[in-house]
Amino acid sequence: MKKILFLFLSALMFMTSLPAVAQDARQRKPETIVQDVLALMPIQKADDLNREVAPLVEAAPQTVGILVGMLKPTAMKANNKVEYALNAITNYATANTKYKEPVLQAMKAALDKAPDDATRQFLESQIRLLGPVTEVEFVTHKGTAPYVQQFDALKAFQGTDFSKPLLKALKSKDRPYRIQALEYVAPLANEALYATVAKKFKKLSPDAQTDVLYWIGDNHVNSQADLVLAEVAKAGATAPAAMEAAVKLGGEKACDALLNALGTNYADDALKALYTYKGKLNDKLPAAFAGASTEKQQQLLQLASSRGVHEVADKALELAGSSDAALSAAAIKALPGIVTSKNAAQVAALLDKVPADKVGALQTALNAAVATLDAEGKYQAIAQQMKSAKNAARFFKPLAQTATKGSVEDLKKFIEGNGSQAADALAALKSTTNFAAAPTLLNAGKAGDADALNAYVSLVKDNERGIDSRCRKLGEALQVAKTAAVKKNAISALASAPTQLAFNTVSKYLDDKDVSYEAAQAVKQIAGKCVDDLDYKFMNTSLTKAMAIYKAHGTADDGYAVDEIKNMLTAAEPSPIYQLTPEEKKEGYEILFDGTNLDKWEGNTTDYTVQNGTIYVSANYGGGGNLYTKKEYKDFIYRFEFCFVRPGVNNGVGIRTPEGVDAAYDGMCEVQILDHDDPIYAGLREYQVHGSVYGVIPAKRIKHKPHGEWSTEEIRVKGDHITVIVNGETIVDGDIRKACQGHNVAPDGGNENPYTVDHRNHPGMFNKKGHIGFLGHGAGVKFRNVRVRELK
Amino acid sequence: MERRSFLKRSAAGAALFTILPRQVLGKMGGANNFVAPSDQLTRGIIGVGGIGRSDLHFASDQRCRLTAICDVDQKHLDSAFEAAKKSFNETVKTYHDFRELIHDENVDIVHIATPPHWHGIMAVEAANAGKDIFCEKPMTRTIGEGRRVQEAVKRNARIFRLDTWFRFKDTFYGLGTDVKPLKKLVESGLLGWPLKVRISGATGFTWKFFWVGKENLEVQQVPKELDYDLWLGPAPYKPYNVHRTHQTFRGYWDYDGGGLADMGQHYIDPVQYFLGKDDEFPIKVEVDAPQQHPDAVGIWRSITYTYADGCQIILEGEGFESSSKVPYIEGPKGKVYKGFECTIPNVQQLINEMPDPELRNTDYLDCVRTRRPFALNETNGHHSATIVNMGVCALRLGRTLHFNPKTQTFINDDAANLLVNQPMRGEWGKYI
Repeated sequence: MKKILFLFLSALMFMTSLPAVAQDARQRKPETIVQDVLALMPIQKADDLNREVAPLVEAAPQTVGILVGMLKPTAMKANNKVEYALNAITNYATANTKYKEPVLQAMKAALDKAPDDATRQFLESQIRLLGPVTEVEFVTHKGTAPYVQQFDALKAFQGTDFSKPLLKALKSKDRPYRIQALEYVAPLANEALYATVAKKFKKLSPDAQTDVLYWIGDNHVNSQADLVLAEVAKAGATAPAAMEAAVKLGGEKACDALLNALGTNYADDALKALYTYKGKLNDKLPAAFAGASTEKQQQLLQLASSRGVHEVADKALELAGSSDAALSAAAIKALPGIVTSKNAAQVAALLDKVPADKVGALQTALNAAVATLDAEGKYQAIAQQMKSAKNAARFFKPLAQTATKGSVEDLKKFIEGNGSQAADALAALKSTTNFAAAPTLLNAGKAGDADALNAYVSLVKDNERGIDSRCRKLGEALQVAKTAAVKKNAISALASAPTQLAFNTVSKYLDDKDVSYEAAQAVKQIAGKCVDDLDYKFMNTSLTKAMAIYKAHGTADDGYAVDEIKNMLTAAEPSPIYQLTPEEKKEGYEILFDGTNLDKWEGNTTDYTVQNGTIYVSANYGGGGNLYTKKEYKDFIYRFEFCFVRPGVNNGVGIRTPEGVDAAYDGMCEVQILDHDDPIYAGLREYQVHGSVYGVIPAKRIKHKPHGEWSTEEIRVKGDHITVIVNGETIVDGDIRKACQGHNVAPDGGNENPYTVDHRNHPGMFNKKGHIGFLGHGAGVKFRNVRVRELK
Repeated sequence: MERRSFLKRSAAGAALFTILPRQVLGKMGGANNFVAPSDQLTRGIIGVGGIGRSDLHFASDQRCRLTAICDVDQKHLDSAFEAAKKSFNETVKTYHDFRELIHDENVDIVHIATPPHWHGIMAVEAANAGKDIFCEKPMTRTIGEGRRVQEAVKRNARIFRLDTWFRFKDTFYGLGTDVKPLKKLVESGLLGWPLKVRISGATGFTWKFFWVGKENLEVQQVPKELDYDLWLGPAPYKPYNVHRTHQTFRGYWDYDGGGLADMGQHYIDPVQYFLGKDDEFPIKVEVDAPQQHPDAVGIWRSITYTYADGCQIILEGEGFESSSKVPYIEGPKGKVYKGFECTIPNVQQLINEMPDPELRNTDYLDCVRTRRPFALNETNGHHSATIVNMGVCALRLGRTLHFNPKTQTFINDDAANLLVNQPMRGEWGKYI
């Protein structure tokens, strides 16, 4: 403690002992400039940084001295802002070199004042960057091995003719030695050298010849094409290298030589080379089939498929029916790369009649044949072929691949028909990417088909955009999932729907050892995105479990995950508990929601949940989606706070309403809660804006606070009089009976009521008492601190 | 010792070895082909706490056998040895000092799986010891170290593999495909030229912005199982805090450089490949980022690299993507989006009809035997590592930098060039 105090004092003394200096453009003293900049560290934008740091650098060395004097011993954990500032000074001065010297001198002078080794080392690293560029010594290891000697000799070689050292190396029996020389010489070689090597080529060992051939190919030595082709033709030990070189040099001659090599011992090498041949094969391949052995024909088919040579389509279809089993198999396997939409009928005919083991390949071929058509065209082409086929089930998979609505409907018919083809149809449906297949797959999944359930999860993940319905659908799949694979997929997919429901759902799987790691990942990911929506205690328990799972897993990412969770737990705050103010207490207010429970509420407590001190709404529009006070109220003052967390939120407060009805009509009224600033409400009527007595008294339009910020609202109801006050501003103050001239329903008994602004009947308008309710029309709003005072 | 002499520098040994044709070698790993132990290669792993501890490297393989492991954390070493025993009995040797593993004559291939600040020193040391090298990404932490690795590998005629693989296999993040069709499409010219490649969350690449460092670290007691001095090695001495070391070292400039340095090469290397820039460096790097702390890595908004011909690689930080629907590759004539959606009609069909990219060697053990270069080696690996490291320099200095590809230095920026070659603590500078 003493020591620290001493250092602090000495820093102060250092500062105060500075000579008076020029002030900057803003008339600030160096101390002020330093303080101003430190307050901003770290700065987000380069321009801002330069603007702020410039005066700091201009006032060097004083400013640098002050900053260095502020460095504390590392153990105090207080240096980061000073480090940012000094580093910014260094960066600035090294880009604007006239400042280098004063900054450098100031840092050097301050070195001895560094409070410990670590800060001194930091200063030294800054000083180094400010200093001149020094040649860093290349340590030359005096190796004695022949490779090092050769390399050094080549490097020291003064002449331009490398033929002598290269040929010497090529005569060696040591391959690394030869290759090293070839590689070294490559960028320096010229035509004369190539010619010399070619001249001596025959005298080299086959191994050395191989090395030279690769070298010719790798360096594209076009002048030696004849030598290469001669080696290809020889079909000896050098053939693989010669073939690779030949195709790298390219040209029709090379292509012909390689095609000739098909059907020989080196066919594999020739084929590999031909895949990469940079020229057209379209004319050459059909002709090459003439007189070719079955082996060569198979290789030609493979080549045609890899290179998309459609000109051999007829030949391939013909060979697919060959009696030679190997040839037929090769042809069928090659079809996908070769056929086009012109061949669809022929491929379909084959698919209908081939033995079962060839079906998969022909299904692929059928899809490949129609690949260039649009989705509907694909569907029509395949459906048409299926109609006339004996084995319609063989067309299910190609059909499903089109991912069209029609294909899904066709397959569903087969599944619902429950005939002999139902199983095939279901199998095919699992491969579609059309979301319309989802309900059928879910049903199959519920009946125990794990693959179907997996397919369902994938479809929901890729297609369901609504965050709450995605969450519900995945949760439903997870509930019936039996295999770890499906559970993992569903849990990981839930991580992309960051809601309280998703968090609660995946938390249950933290103890399931088959999927606990995925659950931990999901829990962390969700909490990271919606920490404010979560119940503190529950979140704490789940995240603590997740952290332990990460720790046990132990990879690089896990280390960061543990850190991240620790930070989340530190940052999160337990739910607040709301209490009445002394005035409210005196006036007889009652707390309806204090942040901890919904004990005074009933109705839809599934979609209205307590989250971290708030009532969070995830209810969908309509039906029993509302939350009501258990008690009924007559005249009252209702106070609450609301916060929109998503754009376009729609909710409302039901007044004197029975449960389970539309409060806007069958209750006294609904006081609108609406994010009316959202562009989707551009065409809103005035009686629909936030605060309006819906359909009866329009409210003064306010501008809402940004999403995530809280607003206060008060609704006073006394007899027929309603007052709505938002953030202290009265936006409705009127009498509903007067507003409709006493006609809450049309005097003629019809549906059209000329006396209300929405021209509708409001039969419940003159209710004497009823519940107060939150009327959910979708997710994304939170309420808190709800209290009421009955007016007697 | 004779069994591995073909890999070594002894002239007598070399005479005994005849190269087998590749089609024979290619089949050696097949299930039915027994490989005599004398033909089996051997590997030693340095750093067995993270990626080096992966089951992948502890599986028994007919063609290559794990013979040694090394770590400066005794707990990591003990736990790795337990795992290794299951596949290799107790024959696996354990080392504390990587130099002993490198000089173990029973090790053919040195697998470097340490934090990046060690990669350069260890690769150079292994090359000088006549070992082949399997190095985890990122290749090196500085541009200067990369040059030295390249030189040492060539000088000693070693086979070097950088371990990221997206330039030749595996689904390519948001693209739903491997790199081959992209390479074919780019080479065909259908997209036009120059191209702009955007690596961003919107196109399927996440930068792991949680891999950042902490400021004001508390000073902690070094755990007794850890040799912190040897863990730091060439890095500046800073008081121990657990966050600097295992797993979370990625957040500190001294050892790595956050998501950019640690993941960058995974994402950028295949781009360099399909742009055909394996022998080229960008000439400019621009950054848009918050001010960086001198020790703890922070986040950034974007980093833009420009090549001499106008091609650009743009990295967009997490949360700073230019829009949810930006193209991955953008050319004057066509665009490719996430999931390989393309503005060119029937692009899949067109790609099918194009030739495959030029042949490369993608089997590392085969390369070790035939001495042919691996598809991702000390040269193209140094190029993509340099892209990453140029970004790191620009980020740390907070300014646009211009690069001279010939000298591999920055133009008119001494401070940037001081980051190209960084000092090493104690004696470690002598190793590289």
